[in-house]
Amino acid sequence: MKLDRREFMKANAVAAAAAVAGICVPATATNLITGSNQTRLKWDKAPCRFCGTGCSVNVATMDGKVVATHGDIKSPVNKGLNCIKGYFLSKIMYGKDRLISPMLRMKNGKFSKDGDFEPISWEQAFDIMAEKAKQTLKDKGPTAIGMFGSGQWTVMEGYAAVKLMKAGFRSNNIDPNARHCMASAVGGFMRTFGIDEPMGCYDDIEATDAMVLWGSNMSEMHPILWTRITDRRLSAPHVKVAVLSTYTHRSFDLADNGMIFTPQTDLAILNFIANYIIQNKKVNFDFVNKHTNFRLGNTDIGYGLRPEHPLEKKAKNADKAGGSKKINFKQYAKFVSQYSAESVSKLSGVSVKKLNELAELYADPNKKVCSFWTMGFNQHTRGVWANNLIYNIHLLTGKISTPGNSPFSLTGQPSACGTAREVGTFSHRLPADMVVANPKHRKKAEKIWGLPDGTIPPKPGYHAVLQNRMLKDGKLNFYWVQCNNNMQAAANIAQEAFPGYRNPNNFIVVSDPYPTVTAQAADLVLPTAMWVEKEGAYGNAERRTQSWYQMVNAPGEARSDLWQLVEFSKRFTTDEVWSKDLLDKKPKLKGKTLFEVLFKDSDVGKFPLSEVPEERLNQESRDFGFYIQKGLFEEYAQFGRGKAHDLAPYDRYHQERGLRWPVVDGKETLWRFKEGSDPYVKPGADFEFYGKPDGRAIIFALPYEPAPESPDEEYDLWLSTGRVIEHWHTGSMTQRVPELYKAMPDALVYMHPDDAKKRGMRRGDLVKISSRRGSVQTRIETRGRNQVPVGLVFMPFFDASRLVNKLTLDATDPLSKETDYKKCAVKIERV
Amino acid sequence: MKKIIRLGWQTLRKPSAHFSLGFLVVGGFISGVIFWGGFNTALELTNTEEFCISCHEMESNPYAELKPTIHFSNRSGVRATCPDCHVPHKWTDKIARKMQASKEVWGKVFGTINTREKFQNLRRHLAENEWRRLKANDSLECRNCHNFDYMDFTEQSERAANQHSTSLASGEKTCIDCHKGIAHQLPDMKGVEGWN
Amino acid sequence: MNQLIAKRSLANNELLRSRVLTRLFSALFLFAAVLSQMALSTEKEIATLRDETAIDDQKRPAVLPKVDNSDIKKTRNYPMQPPLIPHTVRGYEVNLKVNKCMSCHSRSRTEDSQAPMVSVTHFMDRDGNFLAEISPRRYFCNQCHVTQMKTKELVENTFVDMHQLMKEKQSKNSNR
Repeated sequence: MKLDRREFMKANAVAAAAAVAGICVPATATNLITGSNQTRLKWDKAPCRFCGTGCSVNVATMDGKVVATHGDIKSPVNKGLNCIKGYFLSKIMYGKDRLISPMLRMKNGKFSKDGDFEPISWEQAFDIMAEKAKQTLKDKGPTAIGMFGSGQWTVMEGYAAVKLMKAGFRSNNIDPNARHCMASAVGGFMRTFGIDEPMGCYDDIEATDAMVLWGSNMSEMHPILWTRITDRRLSAPHVKVAVLSTYTHRSFDLADNGMIFTPQTDLAILNFIANYIIQNKKVNFDFVNKHTNFRLGNTDIGYGLRPEHPLEKKAKNADKAGGSKKINFKQYAKFVSQYSAESVSKLSGVSVKKLNELAELYADPNKKVCSFWTMGFNQHTRGVWANNLIYNIHLLTGKISTPGNSPFSLTGQPSACGTAREVGTFSHRLPADMVVANPKHRKKAEKIWGLPDGTIPPKPGYHAVLQNRMLKDGKLNFYWVQCNNNMQAAANIAQEAFPGYRNPNNFIVVSDPYPTVTAQAADLVLPTAMWVEKEGAYGNAERRTQSWYQMVNAPGEARSDLWQLVEFSKRFTTDEVWSKDLLDKKPKLKGKTLFEVLFKDSDVGKFPLSEVPEERLNQESRDFGFYIQKGLFEEYAQFGRGKAHDLAPYDRYHQERGLRWPVVDGKETLWRFKEGSDPYVKPGADFEFYGKPDGRAIIFALPYEPAPESPDEEYDLWLSTGRVIEHWHTGSMTQRVPELYKAMPDALVYMHPDDAKKRGMRRGDLVKISSRRGSVQTRIETRGRNQVPVGLVFMPFFDASRLVNKLTLDATDPLSKETDYKKCAVKIERV
Repeated sequence: MKKIIRLGWQTLRKPSAHFSLGFLVVGGFISGVIFWGGFNTALELTNTEEFCISCHEMESNPYAELKPTIHFSNRSGVRATCPDCHVPHKWTDKIARKMQASKEVWGKVFGTINTREKFQNLRRHLAENEWRRLKANDSLECRNCHNFDYMDFTEQSERAANQHSTSLASGEKTCIDCHKGIAHQLPDMKGVEGWN
Repeated sequence: MNQLIAKRSLANNELLRSRVLTRLFSALFLFAAVLSQMALSTEKEIATLRDETAIDDQKRPAVLPKVDNSDIKKTRNYPMQPPLIPHTVRGYEVNLKVNKCMSCHSRSRTEDSQAPMVSVTHFMDRDGNFLAEISPRRYFCNQCHVTQMKTKELVENTFVDMHQLMKEKQSKNSNR
């Protein structure tokens, strides 16, 4: 905000003279305010705070406040559009109950696990945190320290957290909420292609002839991608849309072929399509012979429950879930031949005609086809399998990596790809698809970080679901939760998370802008700066990295997650967290703080404050004395450059509406693994799946296996949970925007009218839904946007006052460790 | 042929030789009543919702679509059944409609709409039949319950009151002109008046 | 408090800034302390959206609210905000066969319906060209436009309308 000084003086003089003369001079001559000093808005760009689509928005600020937002016309992702949530971004930071100071549970002026929250200073907050962390390290070592992060962290925050946890505290117990969201997608990519993230991009939509939604309700969960799909379908009438789900939802409004299948039978439908392609001689052998291998995966792999659970004890291959052996095409063809249209129709409840129509979309060599999926596949106890099976179909037909041919794994969160996956904030991962279990990978990380060999522990840490179990079992004692609301979002909270957080042996720290359910369960709550109150970068589902500047200051003492992480690192010296053996390998690190070793004196500290544009706020950099976001980004980028994960220089992202990696020679990559569009493909190879040593992707023979829990006589209904368009996940931001709250105030249970009638219930009735794990009360909805079939109910999880995750089963995919939130058995009774 | 007709006519004209006049009058009356009653009972039986939805085509398509609408479930519990809207109350109209319905029986026997897809494909045609009928009889079946004379505009939303007090009152529009697709899903509305 | 923050971002002078900061912080501490005193006396559970209910407990779910059908337009928070729907849309179909919303809001229907016409932006395709009819990318109205239930918000929002900021500046200017 620059004031024209001369104008200012002049106006003042006139006003002063007028005041003396006793006349009132209006500032403008009309009832409209027209003076440019008053009407000028400062516009800037930022990615949207919500889903994984990665829309760019323009943000207007005035007098240090966000006053407007709209879709960025220059963004190739959304071209000026936003969904209802995106249009209300301006208001998410202004809920009246923003946290403005740290708060600690206290009694008589001292920390007490059963005390009440009282405000304290940052100094006091870090004091108690450091005390608890050091005590835990001393008593139990690094494995008792853990962190739960987020796919909504900025890239820099995730990177700083990984470095602090894996190198600083030498604990691999860091996992993001993205574990709940797309861990199965990662598992699918790594297993089939050996490298993570989609080969295609959103441009596929405008080039395709058919689009298939597998268990995804894009209309509500990826609304702006849905506008592109709608645009394509309606402007090019030959294009067909098929939608598969376990209930009818808004995406069916565009479906030429809408299919409702019995939960879990998607695995059989996927195998049927492969069988159809083979039976109808539509296999693209040219592609298959050159670019694929066949493998038979281990079956009966269990359900990721606690080891003493009968289902785990019964499973034959629970300990070898990822195993597989080489087979050939013939063996594969025989394997899928058991999935005939008739048998799969009987199993899934989808008519033979519809199944054949669907299969023909894929089989027809003259049709380009995109598949889209998110939580229907990923939140699945066979989620990695489902991902593998969809790739099978695209590989058998060679419909991959070319414009319009795209198996497209969508992501839920704004930086699930950028932060969780690419940075590797998972308990088993390191940046750029590397893993802690691999000694070469650890060595590379230690080299970039300038740390002694052996700093990073080789054993993967506790994943999300395991963290809650270990908290409950008292094995994880110092726990920091940032940028997520896991007490509302985790499965089976009544039996695992809640007793875990409230276990008297544990100290729980929760960083959040608002007092969430998770904050309520914590011991120390830290107030957090959000979205454009800090500088950051996100990576969306099409590998697009986007950055933004800090535009306004956070209220009160709220500070970004990044500031909190780095500031906390000042409280530890290397001698306190590392063994003598380790320090002896690099004696010059002795006595230094983690802040110095991990941030200031490493490559992170290389960029001086002078590189931060003068008119920019950047609270963290001005506080630490160097351009920390750039330092973190550039150091992190070293992991991926030359390794098919190349990022552009940081400054360029401030100019662009994002770039899709690998960015080689300044150019982004639209289609990976295809010669001509991917610079990493060897000349003459045509296609090359270079994530695998022989450049071939794998077609997996994997069967249909039933869900761990399905309706029986007592718990007679399937429960599926999910999201709604108006609210972002647990609603901690959107429930505070009155317009969004009033559009969708409460989480109701969607029920078929016949199911309600059978139980003597009707719309609006107060009911108790119970599972074997807990119960929740809500009211019945028998109409509206979701029409569930008889035998299944749906309830969204955005409502903090109705915690549906007290019901869900914490069974996971044994490979990806991702929870299945879509299937468990419940009963419904009138209250 | 002519001979046969003449013979029949003569037989009918000839006075009865075996039965008394009284018997014939009373017997004719009774059998008439029985016949008439049977016919009407049968007719009334086909005028129930149970009869309509005894065919799965009706149950899983129009009836399933009716359930979430206000004509099925609402605050007062007064609900419309299939015949309320689709069968005229006046006898002659009813018979005419019933004769039309024989086509539906034909459709049932030959499976014209025995799948959801077939129903969807014929939806525009089926809807147009009903729109035409209701347009022609000034939405008579709507008005059997929704009597214009007893509408309290102050109890209606402003928009509704506005339209009802002008276009509907003047007879320029009839119910079905605006209230299409209120009890069942709409067909493809391409080219329908008032929709584009 | 918000004004103080706004002032703070405008302060160029480092010295002034630190003084403002100190003052701001002490004010905030006081404010927070008062707030916590209040909190202590009334509530032990902090999750606002749960209305002081413990996590292992639950408040009785309120009855289903009704949709606002008043047809009264609401002021937009900023010019680019999509208008809210001031009437019920029960049973409105928008799908491959029909777009119920456009039977009133399309350009050709507004004289009859007296409903507001969809804005001109709706006629633009992805590349900003104006089409003869609304762009198919805008076909599903409910992705941006929502109805409002007759219910009270759980948490107040302190978002400030730019109009108010402008007026404040205007009156500041004329008072000087």
